[in-house]
Amino acid sequence: MRAWIALLVLTGAATAAYAYSPATNYTLHCQGCHLADGTASADKVPALAGSVAQFLRVPEGRAFLVRVPGVANAQLADADLAALLDWTLRRFDAANLPADFVPYTADEVHRLRAEPLVDIAPARRRLLDAIESKR
Amino acid sequence: MAERNVDSWLEAASRRLARTTSRRGFLARMGTALFGAASLPLLPIARAGAEVSREAAPDESKLQGAAGDPTNCEYWRYCAIDGFLSACCGGTHSSCPPGTEMSRITWIGTCRHPVDGKDYIISYNDCCGTSFCGRCICNRNEGDRPVYLAGKANDINWCMGTSTAAYSSTVAIVLGVATES
Repeated sequence: MRAWIALLVLTGAATAAYAYSPATNYTLHCQGCHLADGTASADKVPALAGSVAQFLRVPEGRAFLVRVPGVANAQLADADLAALLDWTLRRFDAANLPADFVPYTADEVHRLRAEPLVDIAPARRRLLDAIESKR
Repeated sequence: MAERNVDSWLEAASRRLARTTSRRGFLARMGTALFGAASLPLLPIARAGAEVSREAAPDESKLQGAAGDPTNCEYWRYCAIDGFLSACCGGTHSSCPPGTEMSRITWIGTCRHPVDGKDYIISYNDCCGTSFCGRCICNRNEGDRPVYLAGKANDINWCMGTSTAAYSSTVAIVLGVATES
């Protein structure tokens, strides 16, 4: 029982520690690799700027954006992650955001991040090919 | 006469130098340096950082003692650092030593300012391009996560995307204040 209370207290503390705005969460959890302007660098990390929202144009693309390792494994609660995804799409690629875009929900993020991509490069390639063929 | 004075002065200076220094001492120090160079890269030296161009620094003038000294490991911005302090290596707490290149890919955390109590977002950028600095090793790990959470781990060489992966030292740049949702 005492252990459970301790666990609850710890969980509460951890949650409180991450109650940051989407912009701050981007800086803390994404910017280290994707950079402040979302351009990423040197073939190490994909750019977000001017490209991330194009995944929403194809089936599976919406799920893909949650299942990529940086998102699925982010040390963030589902609701914070959903808000961060929406913020990132609007901040870095508003031009590609579909007019009928529906913001991510915590439940959706919860479900999708539980199915991480096992082999990301081919999955990404397939989606990019599909996006290209729709142009 | 003048030449003679120079000659005796040089002779005296050389003898003084020979008396007060030790060739073996030099060899010993050289050996230490070489051994250190060989063994230190094996240590789990941690690195840090984030892309950054501007300083949004808080007022540092009210900081007392070590918390306000960028050459001291207890400097407030170093709460999650793991590496050699650039400020001890020819650079500053926010700029890399000459001859090194600042990695744009970095690890980012927060440190609480001891005076204003705010949480500032700190980017720990590695300085890359020369051999490791070796001075002012500083290993504080607030918010550090295991290496399998690579984006939040400071035990990683963050010299990525740079022309060389050789780690030299680390800076701590303030990106701004962490804002709550």
